[in-house]
Amino acid sequence: MKKPVGFPTLGLGLLMTCATLWAHHGSAISYDTARLWSTWATVTEFNYLNPHPSMKFDRTLKDGKVEHWDSELLTNPSALARAGWTRSRSVEALKPGTKVKLYVGTSRVGGFSGIVMKIENEKGENVVGERANVTGVDMEGVPGGLQPSAEDKKEQSNEKE
Amino acid sequence: MKKNSHLLGVLAAALLVQNAMAQTPASVPDAYASSDKDTRPYDKHDLSGLWSRNTQQFKLPPCTECREHGPVPGYGYHGNVPPMTPEGQKRFEANKPSRGFDLGGKDAIAHPEVHPGMRRAVPPALGNDPQAQCNPLGAPRLVTFSGGGASIEFIQLKDRLIQRFEWTFDHREIWMDGRKLPNVADYLPRYNVYSIARWDGDTLVVTTTGFDDRAWVDHYGFPMSDQMVFEERYKRLSPNRLQLDMTITDPVIYTQPWHSDTKIFGLIPKESMSIGGWSGLLEDRCIPTDESLFNTFRDKAVGKK
Repeated sequence: MKKPVGFPTLGLGLLMTCATLWAHHGSAISYDTARLWSTWATVTEFNYLNPHPSMKFDRTLKDGKVEHWDSELLTNPSALARAGWTRSRSVEALKPGTKVKLYVGTSRVGGFSGIVMKIENEKGENVVGERANVTGVDMEGVPGGLQPSAEDKKEQSNEKE
Repeated sequence: MKKNSHLLGVLAAALLVQNAMAQTPASVPDAYASSDKDTRPYDKHDLSGLWSRNTQQFKLPPCTECREHGPVPGYGYHGNVPPMTPEGQKRFEANKPSRGFDLGGKDAIAHPEVHPGMRRAVPPALGNDPQAQCNPLGAPRLVTFSGGGASIEFIQLKDRLIQRFEWTFDHREIWMDGRKLPNVADYLPRYNVYSIARWDGDTLVVTTTGFDDRAWVDHYGFPMSDQMVFEERYKRLSPNRLQLDMTITDPVIYTQPWHSDTKIFGLIPKESMSIGGWSGLLEDRCIPTDESLFNTFRDKAVGKK
């Protein structure tokens, strides 16, 4: 199944919030934002930088192994700041070692790379963003989270050619 | 000399278009019907202020007419793209944008009525959008970009209008002191161009030349040449609404003048555009070192090492 850019499958509220995303750097096209999933993770690095903040995180699998992920955040710093998520507040909320629940879209070629659409702290509060309506399939402890199927990868490969 | 003659021809054509537009009574399509309820008097010849196409971001009443009316998500020049010349087509195909429907994707196939320029997006790491290395957006992309997140500030002085753009924290001068456009062949082309303006009734007509043709018209990778003449028509419709219509005349690239969709901006009181009590535009720059770090994440997203 080929994936749309994202907006036809996302809710209107999310669409309105995402305007900045599409306006800046065309993030959605690199990731499968139509099939989001959730996981608990530990922040290992967070960069509050243009054009979008980036974050590295670890997630522990059911067998105790640890996956190291790279990600970008959906919202750019100016929109975050205007929503009250200034640099200092965001860096504090995502300092290394912080445990967070993430809602992720895996990169469309697969692997441990994704876009983070929503972040919750251990109290269940939305942090570094205000996208409360995002949901995802629970993939806690499942290796790789939600990865594209072999068919999806093949189609993605065809699109590039 | 030949280049100068050619440019004069383009300018003449642009003036014809401009005059034709001037003779057409200003009409606002229903989709652009004003939501501004403010009835206070205002100066139609004063465009000063902070303007955005997403008023809700600043906790102001929604401006539905401000939203982009193009066929794909995102902000752009839009309008009906005219057929391209062979040279235009060649440059168009060389540009690989990351906006619009993704190349070969379901929406790209389902919407053949949408221009191919908006049905060819590739992941940023596989594209060649100049902004991925923080190259200047230039005009008109600075204008076509400004919308949802990023705003424009107009500073109107006696002799010029200065536009400040939040995304990339760039600016542009539009001279209103009666000067003529430069002979571009004698000047360096530049990203933020050479612009003059005059009032035509209550419409400020801006004419621009001197483009650096490495810039794109908008996020969809539509090309331009250094021979392009760009016209903007700004009209303050009400205290809190500003209308913009644009026309590109570039016979090197496009076989006919290209009119944009109408763009509507909402006025944002500076108190509403503030963080921590500090009002005004953010310094929302594209920083090459930051962009370079970010691109490592982008590369990984497409499997590049």
